Order: sequence, then structure tokens, then C-alpha cells
Amino acid sequence: MLNQTAEITVAIIILVFALFVAMLWVPIDSETPAFYTFRRQTNIGDAFLPLVAAVGMAVFAAIHVILSWRRVRDDGSDAPFDALSMLYLLIFFGIMAVSLGLMFWSGPLLLSQFYGSGESAPTYRQMRSSFPWKYIGFVVGGTVMVFGLITLVEGRMRWNRLLIAILSVLVLILIFDVPFDTILLPPNGDF
Amino acid sequence: MSVLEYIWAGVLAVFAGPAAFHIFGFGVPITPLMTFVGFLLGIVGGATPGLAGPFLMAISLPILLSIFGFTPDALLPVLGFLVGVMKGATVGGAVPAILFNTPGTPDAMMTTLDGYPMARRGQAGKALRTAHFSSVSGDTFSDLVLFTCAPFLAIAVEAYLGFTEKAALIILSLAFIAAVVGASPMKGMIAAFFGLFVASIGTGQDIYPRLSLGSDSLSNGVPMIAAVMGVLILGEVLVALERMWRDRRERVTPEVIADSGDQKLSWKERRALAPFIALSAFIGAVIGALPGIGSTLAATLGYASGQKMHKGPVAFGRGTPEGVAATEAANSAVSGSNLIPVLSLGIPGNVGAVFIILAAESIGGFNPGPSVFRFTTDTVNPELVIAFGLFTAMMFANILNWIIGGRIMAACGIMSRIPNQVLLPIVLLLTLTAVYVQETDFTVIYFTLAFAVLGYLMRKIKMPTLPFVIAFILAGNLESGIRQAFSASGADPLFLFRSPLSVLFLALAVGVIILFSRPSKPAANKAVEAERGA
Repeated sequence: MLNQTAEITVAIIILVFALFVAMLWVPIDSETPAFYTFRRQTNIGDAFLPLVAAVGMAVFAAIHVILSWRRVRDDGSDAPFDALSMLYLLIFFGIMAVSLGLMFWSGPLLLSQFYGSGESAPTYRQMRSSFPWKYIGFVVGGTVMVFGLITLVEGRMRWNRLLIAILSVLVLILIFDVPFDTILLPPNGDF
Repeated sequence: MSVLEYIWAGVLAVFAGPAAFHIFGFGVPITPLMTFVGFLLGIVGGATPGLAGPFLMAISLPILLSIFGFTPDALLPVLGFLVGVMKGATVGGAVPAILFNTPGTPDAMMTTLDGYPMARRGQAGKALRTAHFSSVSGDTFSDLVLFTCAPFLAIAVEAYLGFTEKAALIILSLAFIAAVVGASPMKGMIAAFFGLFVASIGTGQDIYPRLSLGSDSLSNGVPMIAAVMGVLILGEVLVALERMWRDRRERVTPEVIADSGDQKLSWKERRALAPFIALSAFIGAVIGALPGIGSTLAATLGYASGQKMHKGPVAFGRGTPEGVAATEAANSAVSGSNLIPVLSLGIPGNVGAVFIILAAESIGGFNPGPSVFRFTTDTVNPELVIAFGLFTAMMFANILNWIIGGRIMAACGIMSRIPNQVLLPIVLLLTLTAVYVQETDFTVIYFTLAFAVLGYLMRKIKMPTLPFVIAFILAGNLESGIRQAFSASGADPLFLFRSPLSVLFLALAVGVIILFSRPSKPAANKAVEAERGA
């Protein structure tokens, strides 16, 4: 359990979200209400399940607020988030954004550099199944992702970690791509 | 077909099925081969801290689907592989627990209490043999419980439960899972309802996909693989990476202590362990049959019961083989019986079972649930043949485990030396690749990362993730069951309360939540108390 204040805060946030879903999102964004009558027959509509889910979340969040408020022992752990958590998430998703961006674009960019961009130049879609183009994005993006995250955790760059990152990407290619003709590594399915 | 003919057809489907390759003109059947490969992978993965059976099952599934496709012939090889992984990981988890005081899987936590002290005394070989013997005994017992109980339960459910009762049963199962997983039933219930809510996005019967906000990405619903892998696997990776980032401590290479003295496990010693194994296997099988209660609790209760029974010279916690046996028999006895709710009710009770359901749903032709066990005599029920084929694959994995499991375990000690800060980023890339190759759309990577954040947040606020995932998976069945029951009742608003069985199930659901919400007294046993707080 978290400490009393954190438990109550979390439950209130969930309660507000659940009420928003039940009162606004579900009624506005569903074609049929929870119950509707069509040709004198009453049916369950598409809003039923999300409405039940939202009401359920709201009810149990409200009970949780009351139970946490009445809790005698306040021996739970501290607040789950602090500035360090936010910093960690920021760096983590920074690394992910860079590596996924490289994964998606490095193949097409290198191809355009290699063949130019004239009418006779092949498109990435035409080349996405041929060596080496089909591996470039995955190798570059995957290596940056693995190496970046190891470096984040260890707090320093080490050459052997870069080697491990490259090797791990090559092993994944061996597992997912080499034995199969039908599988497309990321990002080749998007082109 | 008679019952015996169905069983025989299941055995033949495994051993006389399609051949993987031929040696000297003899075809090597694919299902036993895949079960064997899965079993090997399971032991190696279980012996690697940071990996676990469900994770291996999750990343294997897209590869298996690529290899075998979506035809009924794919069912047994894929399910055999997954079952092999499940069984292998159960025994493999004990290796680092004994050798390096680091549990390979969460349920091997209690194994460290006696296994590691034994290893420090130079009895690592004996401790590993004890763990293997107990684990495989518990697992085999549990499978026998599954084979005998699942068909009877399924037949009873099919005979006595209509749409209303089945919907009420799903509600009871969700309430039970939400109440028993984690420290707060209220948070479990919130997680379950949130799972239902997320599952309802972009689905439904109307032309407009509900709650999709007019967006194309949401109009096809949330990809199940993204939700399951994101919350269960990547959420854990995010939390573990943060912990290591905060600590900035590199793993110290564990000390290896040379074996000394007799490492064999004699028949006399095995007989002395038998009562502990029997009691723990029984506890594990009962716990495993209840949805949501994992092998970690079974191991804890098995250990606590063994401790009460123990009168030997070395106390529990000081390095006694009985302690290792009590834990390993209990956590392994969960693996078979936790398929009882899956096969007889279609309700996954734990994370491993989630991937069995995912595999069956992805391939098609086998819908785990009460309809599987229809013993039709005039026509062949192919699902029943698959079910008995699955049982055969499980027994085959057990035989492999008895014969070679111990030797493979002993060779897997090296896996414990892979540092987690290197392993987890590779796990992340592997998971994203596995998800992508199944959907071949970059959007699924964004979905998976979004669910990873959700899994991270849920762990941070100590909200259990399993109720969310199981509610997400069962939402479709629950909604269609309620729609059908409402329709069949002639639009009676109280349709859920018209049948005594349905009322009983709903009352039990409320009762379970109230019971588990009461403040608990501190447990007398430290192990049980530690498990509660986990």
C-alpha cells in the first residue's frame, strides 16, 4: 500500500476520470445508448459495457477513498512519483523517440542518398525486402535503443556494450527474418 | 466416438501428426519436437533472472504463428511449445535461486531460503537434485488433477449453466482475481473495470466504433497483443530499469562455491522428502485451480506448511532439503491445475494461461471453454481431440523433465550471470519486434509503449495488472453473454437475478470482495507475511 495521502489522491484521480468517462465520453462517443428500443424490442446498446466499466471504476474508487481515509495504520510507502521518476521517464522516452525515429527513417533516407530521388530511382517499398535495405532501419534503430538504455542505466558508455547491442540486433534478425520470407522487420511493413 | 477413442485420437494427433523432418525414412513428429524445444527454452529462460515463463511464451507466440500459420494443424505444435516453456521455466527458476540467491522466477523466491544455504555448504548439486525431483513430482501430480477435473467441470458447466449463469460466472471470476491479486481488492476491481473499459474502445455492434474519438487508430480497437505485452512485460521492464537507474549499482559477479561431499539424492532421501512433496503438491494444485492466485502464494503456503511438519536436525531457512522440496513441489503443482479454469471455463487464471488463450484465439479452431469437452458420439469433436492432444504433450514434457530436466538445470547456472541492465533493453527490443512482426504496423509499437506506461503507472501505484489483462481478454465474452442473456430474458432488466445459480455467483462475487477487503491480522509465519506485502 502507498501512504494515506497518496492512496486518496490516486483514488480521487481515478474517480474524476471515471465520472468523465461515464457522463461525457461514453454518451457522446457511442452510436447507441446503454439500452434502446428498436421496432418494439429493447436491446443492449454499445454504450452499455463502457458505462458499466466507468460506473464500476467510480464506485470502487469512491469506496477506496473512504477506506483509505478511515485507515488506522499509515505505514505505507511514500508517494509513487517524484522528480527523479519524471526525469527517468523523460530520458527513457527521449532514447525511444530517437531510436524509433532512426528505425523508421534511416532506411528510406539512405536509399534516397544512394539512388538519388529521380523518377527512375527505386522506392523504399520496392527495396524493403532486399539486402541490405531491409535491415538498415532495424540495425541502426535497434542498436541505438539497446545501447542507449544500457548507457542510461550504467551511467557511462562502454564499447563492449555497443558490441552487445549490435550482436543482440543481429541475433534478432537471425531469429525473426532469416528463416522466414513472409515476416517483415520494423519498419518495413509500413512502406 | 467413445471416451477412450477420443483419448487415443489425442495421443495419435501428437505422435502420429505431421512430421518435422525424416531420419532414415522415419518421420519425426512436429508436436513432440516443439514441446521438447519449448521445454529447453523454458529451463534456460527460467534460469535467467529477468526472464520468466510468461515472457518467453509472449515473445515466442508471433514467431510460432509465422512458422505454423493459422491452420488447425498449427494448434498442437504451438500449444505443445508453450506448455513446454511453462514447465521448463518452472524448474529452471530454481537454478539461480540455489546457486546465487537470486530467484530466476518470482515463485522461486522461497527456494533461496534453503537452497542457497545448502549451496554455501557445498551441497549445490544435492539442492538442485532435490528441487528437480520435487518440482517434477508436483508438476506431474498437478497435471493428473487437470486431466481428471477439467472435463468433469466443463461438462457440469455446459449442462447446468445458461447465458445468464455464464455471464455471472465471468463476473465472479473477475471479482475473485481482482480480490486476491495484490494488497487491495478495491484497486483490483478498479483495474478489472478499467480493463473492460479499454477493451470496449473501438469495438461493439454498431457501425460507428464506440469511444474511438473519430480516430482511425482507435476504430479497429486496441490490439490485444499490444495491451497484454505492454502492461505485463514492458511495464515491468520500465520499472526494473528505473530501479537500476536509481541504484546505479552494477551486478556483482556472484561467487561460485565448489561442491563438496555427496551430491546425489538417494532413494532413502527421496522417501524422506515424499511427505513434504505430497503436502505441497496438494496445496499447489488446489491454489492453482483458483483463478488469480499465483504460484508464489502456493510456494509460500507450501513452505509454511512444510515448516510446521519438519522435525529434522537442520531447521527451515538454514539449508534443509525439505525446505527446497516443500517450495518447489508447491510452485510446480500450480502449473497444471491453473489450466483447469482455462480449459473448462475459458477463463485464464494466470499470466501463463493468458498466452495459451491468446495462441488458441490467434490460430482459431480451438476455443478453450466448456464446449471443448463435448463427448459427441455420432460426430468427431475436433476440439476435444486437441484437448487430449494437449494433455498428451503435457505428459510428454513431464517425461522429458523426469529424464533430462535435472541435467539441463545443472548446465544452466551460467545464465544467472547475465547482468539485468544488459538483458532488459534487449528484452524491450525483442518484445517490440515480436509485436511488430505480428501486426506489421508501426502504430502497434506506439500502442505497446502506451500500455507499457500504463503498466508502469499501475505498478507505481501498487495496482495489480493481472485483473486488467484478464478483464481485457474476457470483455468480449462477457458483453456477448450479457447481450444474449438479456435478449433471451425478453429484455427483463433484472435478468441477472432471475436464476438461483446466477444470484449465487453474484453473491459470492460480492462476498469475496468484502472478505478480502477486511483488514488482515499480521500472519504468524514471516514467509506468509512477506508474501502478503509483496
